[in-house]
Amino acid sequence: MKFSATKEKLLEGLQQVQNVVSTRTTLPILSNVLLQAREGAVHLTTTDLDVGVRGSFEANVDKPGATTLPARRLFTIIRELPSSEILIEVDGKNAASIRSGQSFFKILGLPEEEFPPLPKFENAKIVTMRQKDLHDGLRKTAYAISTDETRYVLNGVLFSFKENKLTLVATDGRRLAMVDIELEFPRSHEADIIVPTKAVTELQRLLTNDGDVKISVGSGQIAFDLNNTLLVSKLIEGNYPNYKQVIPAEAKERVTLERETFLNSLRRVSLLASDKSNSIKLNFTKNNIEITANTPEVGEARESLPVAYKGREFSVAFNPEFLMAPLRNLAEDEIFFDLIDEMSPGVLKIQTPFLYVLMPMRVSS
Amino acid sequence: MDESCKALWEKLSAALKPQVSADTFKRWFSAVELTKATEDELTFHVPNNIYQFWIESNHMTALQSAITTALGAPRTVRFLTFAESDSDDFAAPQARKTDGGSSSKTVGLGLSLNPRNTFESFVVGPNNQIAHAASLAVAQAPARTYNPLFVYGGVGLGKTHLMQAIGQYVWMKKKTSKVMYLSSELFINEFIDAIQHNTLVKFRKRYRQADLLLIDDIQFLGGKERSQEEFFHTFNTLFDGHKQIVLSSDRPASEIANLEHRLVSRFEWGLTAELQPPDIETRLAILRKKARTLQIKLHDEVYQFLATRIRSNVRRLEGALMRVASFASLSGKELTQETIEHLLKDILLEERRQTVTIEQIQRKVAEHFDVRLADMTSKRRPASIAFPRQVAMYLARELTKASLNEIGDSFGGGDHGTVLHACKLVKRRMTEQDNIRQTISFIDSALQR
Repeated sequence: MKFSATKEKLLEGLQQVQNVVSTRTTLPILSNVLLQAREGAVHLTTTDLDVGVRGSFEANVDKPGATTLPARRLFTIIRELPSSEILIEVDGKNAASIRSGQSFFKILGLPEEEFPPLPKFENAKIVTMRQKDLHDGLRKTAYAISTDETRYVLNGVLFSFKENKLTLVATDGRRLAMVDIELEFPRSHEADIIVPTKAVTELQRLLTNDGDVKISVGSGQIAFDLNNTLLVSKLIEGNYPNYKQVIPAEAKERVTLERETFLNSLRRVSLLASDKSNSIKLNFTKNNIEITANTPEVGEARESLPVAYKGREFSVAFNPEFLMAPLRNLAEDEIFFDLIDEMSPGVLKIQTPFLYVLMPMRVSS
Repeated sequence: MDESCKALWEKLSAALKPQVSADTFKRWFSAVELTKATEDELTFHVPNNIYQFWIESNHMTALQSAITTALGAPRTVRFLTFAESDSDDFAAPQARKTDGGSSSKTVGLGLSLNPRNTFESFVVGPNNQIAHAASLAVAQAPARTYNPLFVYGGVGLGKTHLMQAIGQYVWMKKKTSKVMYLSSELFINEFIDAIQHNTLVKFRKRYRQADLLLIDDIQFLGGKERSQEEFFHTFNTLFDGHKQIVLSSDRPASEIANLEHRLVSRFEWGLTAELQPPDIETRLAILRKKARTLQIKLHDEVYQFLATRIRSNVRRLEGALMRVASFASLSGKELTQETIEHLLKDILLEERRQTVTIEQIQRKVAEHFDVRLADMTSKRRPASIAFPRQVAMYLARELTKASLNEIGDSFGGGDHGTVLHACKLVKRRMTEQDNIRQTISFIDSALQR
């Protein structure tokens, strides 16, 4: 196998796939990237057996062939190379010679046959949607994924295909984010599946704002085909909890807030939220919200935010991180904050179908 | 919900209501049932896991303080979802369906199952008949006949072959079943890895959902306490879930050093089958079968020669066959006894070394019983060393060609009667006491290794 490519193209290609590379050492082949040189392009594949990514970059292929090379090492070498033209040649023993300008590197790989193939999708259900929609939906939900491994069904995003709608849900038991995306698909394609965190993170990196993504759901696995890049992942087994149970029926009070102003105020005040209780308090009075935080023996912070509010006067406390996470990930200027009382969950909404349920903190006042 | 639980739950509810909002109570606690109350634990039934997740995350303080108010002391709270009990039946096939992809990957990946190791390619002789029959029974009806199956025997006698054959048979018959084959060393490594990366839950999940777990060389678990504990729980989970477990070792479970008793007893729970070195007829059959699959043609005398000279180990036997065959096809020369002997001189030397001497026996026995070697040969015989001496005499009688008188001489000049008496005594005690039989067969196999 022999090919030459520009440093830029090579790096771009490697960057697409290298995050998946396994850090576990039990199977050395998994820390390698599979390179397959065909006409005019080199295909790259990495996998950790749970998630796999295949990408490619343009190259002048002199001799087609395939091998696997240590992904991280290859990437760091390519990044440091002095010249923009890079020539890579691999001999029959999977040793790769890398030439660029005055530099020469030789790194040892493993044979192509040892690399586990990405799973095949037969009789998969295929749905096509705009990349932008999925990207946007995941950004609005993924931050709420649980990291608690004992609740493994929550370690991912629920993709619920129902009634010409794709609903994305993530929750960790204290908050829940949900997005609805209008989507056309046949009745037979209705399904509830859980895509694991790692696949979601990678997908967010790969998705762009142009073009379509073809989603194939097979048994126990899913593939996202984004024109040049393919991501496949195992699904999390099990039933996602009935999230609808969490959503409060109706709100008593609603305030309309300017997202950035609210976020900035929260960020400032949260500087004095204590690590221990980690809560900030919102005091609702007529046409005003007062945001306060205090830590005994450290100090306190207070900020007023003028809003249109005519409801009952009351206070409610939240974890500032949990309140700021959706504000950071939304793009809309205007958000609605629905509340019932100091003990009931608050709900953030926007004009489009999105919902964020957040449990209040108990404060001894 | 029985009456006492019902009454208790009413008391709890009353204490809980003021602590949470009315909506919260209606939404989360109205569907909760108290099903079991003990001195230190309360078990609640909830309709599905979201109740558990949400109550645990948000309302635990309220619930605990209600419990303290109602009962006067805090209790451990456990949740059970209805889904766990009823939906199991239809959730299980679904889960298996999804597993299909991964298990085919496990085998397809060639993670460790060698496609050549099947029941068809296994040569059955009197030495391994029981192990073979048991393995086949297990493969045909996993978890129904012998669970766990414990196969043990020396190096190169076919333990791995049998285990992989079981794995492939089960998998071929039902592609959706989750077959896991690994060595205990890999199990330990992955366990350490899981501790390091804090992924124990994933680790457990991985092993505890296997339909058939095959662990090779289980003796390496000896001395690894935490791995043993982890394996103990994995074992129990699988066993209770009626999943087949097959283990192999180079010695009986009771002789694995530093293996916890509870594990030993579990290993011996099902069926224990021993693999012994093959007799000459079986060795010949193995050579012929191997030659046929490799498409080698050799004279009968060559097979005969190999089978008589290489006795201890099937792997070595096959290696010798390969060497002879490749020499024959490469050089094109006629194979004479001299050329073969020259060709295999290292292997034959190795084999010859295994003829045991009386001195080796004495040393091994002395080492095992922790007595001085000098005691074996001295004329003095304190009672404490009488039994080790007798064992050594018995072994010398069994393993060497030395006459009774020769043996007597090597043990400081007893006459042949002494030796005969020792042999009889040891034989009798072996039939009477299991631990003595085990000890002796252990020394025996150590000597022949």
